[in-house]
Amino acid sequence: MMSTLLDIKDLSVDVTIDKQEFNVVNNLSLRIDKKQKYGIVGESGSGKSLTSLSILNLLPDVLHVSNGHIMLDQTINLTKLSKKEMLNIRGNEISIIFQEPMTALDPLFTIEHQISEVLKFHEKYTKKEMKQLIIDMLDKVGFSRPKQILKSYPHQLSGGMRQRVMIAMALICKPKLLIADEPTTALDVTIQAQILDLMNALTEDYDTSILMITHDLGVIAETCERVAVMYAGTLVEEASVQELFKNPTHPYSVGLLDSVKSLGDRTKKLYSIPGNVPTPAQLNESGCRFASRCSHVMDICRKQDPPQFVINDDHKSKCWLYKDGGKKNNEHYQHTIESK
Amino acid sequence: MSTTNILLKVNNLKKYFPQKSGVLKRPKNFVRAVDGISFEINEEETFSLVGESGCGKSTTGRSILRLHEPTSGEILYNGKNILNYSTRDFRKLRKDLQMIFQDPYSSLNPRMTVKKLLMEPLLTHNICTKKEAEERIIAIADKVGLAKEQINRHPHEFSGGQRQRIGIARALVLNPKVVILDEAVSALDVSIQAQILNLLIELQEELKLTYLFISHDLNVVRHVSDRVGVMYLGQMMEMAKTEELYSDPLHPYTKSLLSAIPSSDPTEKKERIILQGDVPDPSNPPSGCPFRLRCPMAHERCKVEEPMYQEVKDNHWVACHLYNEIN
Repeated sequence: MMSTLLDIKDLSVDVTIDKQEFNVVNNLSLRIDKKQKYGIVGESGSGKSLTSLSILNLLPDVLHVSNGHIMLDQTINLTKLSKKEMLNIRGNEISIIFQEPMTALDPLFTIEHQISEVLKFHEKYTKKEMKQLIIDMLDKVGFSRPKQILKSYPHQLSGGMRQRVMIAMALICKPKLLIADEPTTALDVTIQAQILDLMNALTEDYDTSILMITHDLGVIAETCERVAVMYAGTLVEEASVQELFKNPTHPYSVGLLDSVKSLGDRTKKLYSIPGNVPTPAQLNESGCRFASRCSHVMDICRKQDPPQFVINDDHKSKCWLYKDGGKKNNEHYQHTIESK
Repeated sequence: MSTTNILLKVNNLKKYFPQKSGVLKRPKNFVRAVDGISFEINEEETFSLVGESGCGKSTTGRSILRLHEPTSGEILYNGKNILNYSTRDFRKLRKDLQMIFQDPYSSLNPRMTVKKLLMEPLLTHNICTKKEAEERIIAIADKVGLAKEQINRHPHEFSGGQRQRIGIARALVLNPKVVILDEAVSALDVSIQAQILNLLIELQEELKLTYLFISHDLNVVRHVSDRVGVMYLGQMMEMAKTEELYSDPLHPYTKSLLSAIPSSDPTEKKERIILQGDVPDPSNPPSGCPFRLRCPMAHERCKVEEPMYQEVKDNHWVACHLYNEIN
């Protein structure tokens, strides 16, 4: 039996623009088990990065958590911690890797200085021990001459190397959870393959869970066990990766997968979802947030926001098409897709 | 194929950027961004250049429009070398060669309305009167999927996908023959990317356009192109028809590039070739084959001798010593 590491329940995040509040993450619930590789996939503006920032209490001032809680190890409520208490969590229990490693590293300090900062803050080591630890860590993330890297500055390293340094920094305190926010989006495919491989291997060594945040379904398919699909601040579908790719239910997930899968087949027109992602102002309207772009929209979708319907044991979908338990409606749904 | 009319031919194109240093700013070294590449594009065809960042694919695209003046080489458009044109003559030709950029946020002037943005090229090239121009703008806006009332708005009022539509309209309003698309869909979300790709394919058929498609996204390239060239460190490594390149890649670099694409099928466990290290610095390229430092198949010969870029199969070119024995 797997035990829960992170439990997000009914999380809502609001943004204040001109004294008006807009809801950008809406009642999001998800659970990450120990050693699990969990993915959140969604387009820009879907709220996937905001979710990760709220886990670490790093939301910018205009945003705040308006509802819900985030439990770490079933005991610590991260949304209720003071700033000081949060410092002990960040880097120690939960670490994060960002998309652009150049902006995440300080250009004025050497790599050794920046990694040792994390260690100094969380653990008690002598200088010598610390240096050895950092060298070992750099060796683990695949640097052939770690001693040389110690004295380098970020601008002397390539994008892939900087991301390795970020991974070394994130994992040096052996955190329980590693949040990777688009870790390979800025990198080339061959470097992306290196980095994903490395993250997989290292987190297995350290028994670390991963929360992978990405827009790339391919990255999810390669690295994750479970996946949540987000759209306009709501979690629309959640399932094991195998299940979601084989049997997507929510019209948005279906559309997303279709537009990826039809790539490469020149004989067919690319499947595309019409319209655009809603603006924050449109988010306060009632009803399903995908209704305006959905090809299966019904009257109820425009009036009432659908709850999470259970498709099967490990598959939930937030769509009115599945209100009778999924199975039967699902057939109807598959049929409408084929007849399109 | 019925039309094998070569529209654009690039011959041994080189673009070296000088690295200046010292008080006198003398060029000390050169970054060999594009180092002798050749290819040709047939009429109404889509030719793609793929490669990692820094491989020179964008520089190639820009050199064709002479946005960077090439160091040496030939660019033949309709059989004439456009590098010999005077600035004035070239400007006349420029309406045939248009470009669509990656970032729809920075390539549109925020102070101009869509109408002004689309009017500008028409008036610069003295193509028609203001009145006719307005009709043309409405027609082209309609073609790319912008509503008539939207053309009086400013770029910030549009989403990324719609802005890219404006960029496309701006390039097409002059009725060009060749369009260079530099990472035209890379900044867009998957669902929007699909819309724009469909639009580009439709427009190509309708307006009989020739595309030079520059991208790092191998899936997108596979979808749009007739032929693909793979670049590495300023050189062409392999060139073939799309299906052949994807089903039977010859060069070790192409093989590893294709194997690195994350598969969108979690049940499919494919053999991965993970390359070690990074792309070398183009100001200080390795001796012999540019790829040898990362190549899993590298041998002694690769170190000393640069491989010839040659046709090893029908319309399938590759620069690798492994395929030398065939000849």
